[in-house]
Amino acid sequence: MTPIAPPVLITGLVFEAAPAPADGGEYEPAVGTSREEKEILATLEDKAAAKTASDYQHIVWAYGILWALFAAYGLFLWRRSARLRADVDALRQELGRSGARGGPGA
Amino acid sequence: MLHLAPVRLLRQSLLLLRSELRQELRDLELVLTSTFFTLVVLGMFYLSFAALEKKHTMPAVPGLLWLTVAFVGTITLTRAFDREREADTLRALLAAPVERLAIYVAKAGSTLLVLLVCCALLVPGLASMFPAGQVFWDMPLETVALVVLGCLGYVAIGTLFAAGLAGGGGKNMLLAVILYPVTTPVLMFALVTTRALLDKNPNLPSYLGQMAALDVILLGLGALLFEPVLVGAAPARTAQAARQHARDRLRTTGREEPR
Amino acid sequence: MKRKSEFVVPLLFLAAAPLVVYSVQRVFLHTPNERTMGTAFKIFFFHVPMGWLCMLMAVISGVAAYVQLRRRSRTASAVALAAAEVGFLGGLGVMLTGPIWGHATWGTPWTGDARQVTTALLWLVIAAYLLLRHFGQHASERLAAALAIFGAVNVPLIYYAVKLWKTTHPTTGVVAKLPPEMWATFWPGLSALLLVSFGLFAIRARQLVLAGELDDAYVRLEDSRA
Repeated sequence: MTPIAPPVLITGLVFEAAPAPADGGEYEPAVGTSREEKEILATLEDKAAAKTASDYQHIVWAYGILWALFAAYGLFLWRRSARLRADVDALRQELGRSGARGGPGA
Repeated sequence: MLHLAPVRLLRQSLLLLRSELRQELRDLELVLTSTFFTLVVLGMFYLSFAALEKKHTMPAVPGLLWLTVAFVGTITLTRAFDREREADTLRALLAAPVERLAIYVAKAGSTLLVLLVCCALLVPGLASMFPAGQVFWDMPLETVALVVLGCLGYVAIGTLFAAGLAGGGGKNMLLAVILYPVTTPVLMFALVTTRALLDKNPNLPSYLGQMAALDVILLGLGALLFEPVLVGAAPARTAQAARQHARDRLRTTGREEPR
Repeated sequence: MKRKSEFVVPLLFLAAAPLVVYSVQRVFLHTPNERTMGTAFKIFFFHVPMGWLCMLMAVISGVAAYVQLRRRSRTASAVALAAAEVGFLGGLGVMLTGPIWGHATWGTPWTGDARQVTTALLWLVIAAYLLLRHFGQHASERLAAALAIFGAVNVPLIYYAVKLWKTTHPTTGVVAKLPPEMWATFWPGLSALLLVSFGLFAIRARQLVLAGELDDAYVRLEDSRA
């Protein structure tokens, strides 16, 4: 048994694989298909598979970049608000220490 | 500002423009530095592109022309408003009882004149360096219209931003950062029209008309924004502006912009 | 104390969460492949909304900048900056995913198509605005506002200019006509993206307003001590 490449396997489901020639005698091709036809199909399928694989790669990159961008901006916003909160706390402490009345309502 | 008699505006603009020109004629600083820079850029372009074949100079010449205008325009605007900043004259001018729009018109006018002097060197230079530029000699009227319209649009935007940076004490490095992206539409229209001129395109008048329309839009925007952009730099002195200022202050009830 | 506006942001994100999940599973599992562009076409569903987001934010920034100039409003100034930041983000997304899609389908990342050039130039203006807001001094804030207004006005101008400019170049059709099931996938994705970006935008705008108020508070504190 030779290992079967996936495209051939797929083809085999549709068309019956040609049997090995018996004792070098009469070779009977399977009904409904020919070797050339099958090879053309296989190359086409290889091409389609390669295209799909490359497309998948591109999609992963594209979506990865998009989500990374949003995540980066979210992180930036989060750090900003942490700093802002620290500032507000510092101001509160200052206010508490100096006991200034009528100061800003933070 | 807008409901003022246009005659007075025109008179004030001409007065200011005349004083700008008188100041410039005293030492010719702007004209000399800008024309020199034009020559240098032309020389560099010649060294870089003299080997091009004729069919390749066809698409190159419009780009060279308007790139040079962009470079020279930046230099001129930077220098023109550096001078104002050194002597703090812009602030004085804004405080004077003059319409702000007149200041814009005068500044844009003087810068336009300097740019046109540079173009008077640049266009014949390109025409003699590159065979494709021969059309500039063949169709002088169209060429002049094209150059004037292109420079006018450039100046309409450039004056606003250069004045804003000078009045606000901004850093000059930023001027180039702002000017190049903002002026791309004008320069692209000019580029397309120049290409039409070089191709002897029969639609050239309609291209020129589109550029004129664009200039009107840009001048209108520049005039509309000039006062709001600059008014923070100096307190209002004209009665009308002062009233407007007071009304603004009332409306915002003492709030200021964040820094 | 809690303000009403504080509930808006969580609501936006809450609404966005199921939409994001729904649109992504729809894009990958329930949308047929486009005939000529194949699987790579799935980039379209988030690429195009990012482009629209960029344009929309540029317009919002321009309008807010105009209000800021006329009314000297702090809120408008904050809105203009926040919108420019989100627009910058959207523009970056378009400009990164566009070449990826182009590479997958046209075989070249850049064709100089009118939309591409327009987006790139608009993005440059937004970047210049952000540079000016961050590195210009206090007084250049008005100038930045003028720049934002010009950025918004420039969008149609640039598009028209690039169309003219392209007349002597080969043109590339991007998407001719979309079948309805594609649109049915497109709209949820668009709304999810818009909800998320408006949430981020609202957070950022509020942060900027708060930062301004905080500055004022410090100034008043100094004043009360003096």
